[in-house]
Amino acid sequence: MGAPLDEVIEHLVAGIVDHPDDVDVRAKSTQRGELFEVRVNPADLGKVIGRQGRTATAIRTVASALAGRGGARIDFVDVDRRR
Amino acid sequence: MSQDKLIREGDVAADFLEGLLDIADLDGDIDMDVDGDRASVSVVGGDLRSLVGRDGEVLDALQELCRLAVYRETGERSRLMLDVDGHRAARRAELVKLAEEAVAQVKESGERVALAPMSPFERKVVHDVVAEAGLGSESEGLEASRHVVVLPAS
Repeated sequence: MGAPLDEVIEHLVAGIVDHPDDVDVRAKSTQRGELFEVRVNPADLGKVIGRQGRTATAIRTVASALAGRGGARIDFVDVDRRR
Repeated sequence: MSQDKLIREGDVAADFLEGLLDIADLDGDIDMDVDGDRASVSVVGGDLRSLVGRDGEVLDALQELCRLAVYRETGERSRLMLDVDGHRAARRAELVKLAEEAVAQVKESGERVALAPMSPFERKVVHDVVAEAGLGSESEGLEASRHVVVLPAS
């Protein structure tokens, strides 16, 4: 049984940003499999990406470990960006 | 850093981790401690291999996120150490043994011995063991190839 990945990602991101209520995770089906779009407050985008992408990598690593086979694909966007 | 601040760091990290275990439906208990000037948090019990990963890769990522969660709550950078399933403790014991073997080799041959590349934390464990044995050591190489060299007594 895999963990509910959208909830895992939301918990990880909401735990480190200044505006946890603005965090929104949506799963999208793409040709390359499931993709998670993570929306955060624009002020937090730098925070979830981190220096040299270090924080985004850490989030992807933990989420992929809990996703089991195939890992997890995650895109970080800010809430102002249109779908 | 005061004891109270370190205990608070441990509390914040424990909440963050408990929430994660809950969502991921993983069994595990969280122990908190203060180790010198760092908060130390470990997750034990249950099948936690997924949270350790190959070479502790997932553990390092999770530790980084715990530190960021603490920073969000306290506004201060944290050097909190996270362990899962005793992985770091076991690695530490392995490193102490490696360092002791290198020290013995240097004392016998009188020549410097270079060890394999290690993370900053791992190198610190080795430097400490070498210093305690009365020899000197230094780190050489850049980034991923940075490693400890044990030096003969001058």
